[in-house]
Amino acid sequence: MQPCSREMQAINSLLNPTQQIPLHDLQSNGNSNSHQQIQNPHFDPTSSHDDFLEQMLSTLPSCSLSDLKSPWNPTKSDETCPPNPDNNVGFHYDEILATKLRQHQINGGGGSSPATAAMKMMMQQQMMLEGRATAFGRGVGGGLTMPLSLGSGAAGSHHNDIVDGSSFKSPNNQDHGGEGSVQALYNGFGGGSLHGTNQSSNRPQHLNHPQGGTMQAQNFGAIAGTVIKQSQASGSITGGTAAQPKQRVRARRGQATDPHSIAERLRRERIAERMKALQELVPNANKTDKASMLDEIIDYVKFLQLQVKGGGDFIQMSTDGGSLPRNSNGNHTSSSNDSLTVTEQQVAKLMEEDMGSAMQYLQGKGLCLMPISLATAISTVTCQSRNPMINNANQNNGSSNHPLLQSSGEGSSSPSMSVLTVQSATMGNGGVDGSVKDAASVSKP
Amino acid sequence: MSPMNNPQDLNPSSLKSRFTTRFLRALTKINGQKPISSSSPREMFQRYRRIKVAADKSMAWSVRSRRTWSRAMLWKLRSRYSCRQASSSRRSSVRTSTIIKSRQAKTSHEKENKNTTTGQDEVGFVVQADKLRKLVPGGEAMDLCNLLGETAHYIKCLTTQVQVMRKIAHFYSL
Repeated sequence: MQPCSREMQAINSLLNPTQQIPLHDLQSNGNSNSHQQIQNPHFDPTSSHDDFLEQMLSTLPSCSLSDLKSPWNPTKSDETCPPNPDNNVGFHYDEILATKLRQHQINGGGGSSPATAAMKMMMQQQMMLEGRATAFGRGVGGGLTMPLSLGSGAAGSHHNDIVDGSSFKSPNNQDHGGEGSVQALYNGFGGGSLHGTNQSSNRPQHLNHPQGGTMQAQNFGAIAGTVIKQSQASGSITGGTAAQPKQRVRARRGQATDPHSIAERLRRERIAERMKALQELVPNANKTDKASMLDEIIDYVKFLQLQVKGGGDFIQMSTDGGSLPRNSNGNHTSSSNDSLTVTEQQVAKLMEEDMGSAMQYLQGKGLCLMPISLATAISTVTCQSRNPMINNANQNNGSSNHPLLQSSGEGSSSPSMSVLTVQSATMGNGGVDGSVKDAASVSKP
Repeated sequence: MSPMNNPQDLNPSSLKSRFTTRFLRALTKINGQKPISSSSPREMFQRYRRIKVAADKSMAWSVRSRRTWSRAMLWKLRSRYSCRQASSSRRSSVRTSTIIKSRQAKTSHEKENKNTTTGQDEVGFVVQADKLRKLVPGGEAMDLCNLLGETAHYIKCLTTQVQVMRKIAHFYSL
């Protein structure tokens, strides 16, 4: 699985520097001092900052330094300048990156806090690119889990793409608890989405990261703070490794358990695909929540199975031509009424003896008892929609214009029927659909 | 009863047409077996069950073994049939029981594997997934991803079945 376009990676890498730089500003401004102190205990390596700085300065070209410095300077304090270029140098390899960074900085300079401003910007950008709520749900869920694992797990918990795994592995193992977390937040899903079927899904996942970050502001702040510090020290490593394949720039994070995370990502995406396909099959698929969607699917499968059963019953009933007078003549009304009257009498007789056998008899005929209220409701609606006498034939046509009787393949109640109280266990399940095979009318004694 | 001409089944190899032909064949066989005059509940039940089995069987056969659920259903039907026959012969019953046991062992083993893998993943729809597994034949031994795919195909087949049955019933009632 290769990373998609350079632009994608540019955006990926852009997310990091945008995030890291403002957070670094936070740090140097002193606002984040408390954050620092809080964040410090979370992450192990803090001594590698100097190394990071030196490496970044040595390996990376400084031509873009001035470009990067300028957007920052007016918005940030002077003391942020010296470390800034280091960070910028560390992360800037590409002209695209530079321009985007500038744009972002300019746009985000007026934000309430640099972190949130940058995040908002990224969100807007991603929203413009593509918006998909489902991906958001996924991404947030993953994003929420990621910082937690990263915060606790330090170096071992990075996510990585196959592409960047080799390049990032060794340097990341040491000191990228924080940086890894940020990258995970922003790039893990980006990498995962790159695995996905279409690259455009990257965008919403980038969207997800910032939003996931905002939702877990504290965690993110903690992680990002340490990321900044560590990035200062070890940025050169990433810079060096990132310089080598420019498109792999921290698009993914190296991690020891690469195949697992990748496989999990793949799996999640496949599941999402299947859920989407199922959504199209199942009616009432307007649920965005996966759990409720699954419930809907389960209900629909049950309903279809009942329908098949009902269809079998009806076929049996209809092929059972000898026992009951069928609607084979032209006069549906009388024949249906007669047949039902006969049935009613038989059922009444059976009921006197044994309720169970009566129910069995009815079921064998593909009939069921139903509450009078329900029957009247159905009959009134049925009368309005079509001629109830032709119901048998019409319904077998699969006509689904009537929601109540949509699924039942058999006859419906006619207004003249009165029904005893019943039960069909499935009747309570969203209604009438699968369970009403026919309304048996039994005269009250 | 002559097979119904269904003008919508333009594609002779579509699922619908395959199922229709098989199902009609089965229906004619059932109707030919017994006289239609029986009206006692028990015999009606028997006929109903036979029809249902015929519907399931013809649907599973139309799908052949391309899908897990169809394979599971065919296997179940075959095992039931062989169980019935096994009552007469001990050897086949032993064979059947061993087959069933091995299958159950395999299923439970796969289920254990599946449980461990789903434990790692954060999808967490285990409850609904279990329900779905019970509904879809052969669903116990599948991970969530495949289960969803099987469900989609199963839903499609069920809707086809319902449509065909409705049309047949309509044809009969005319």
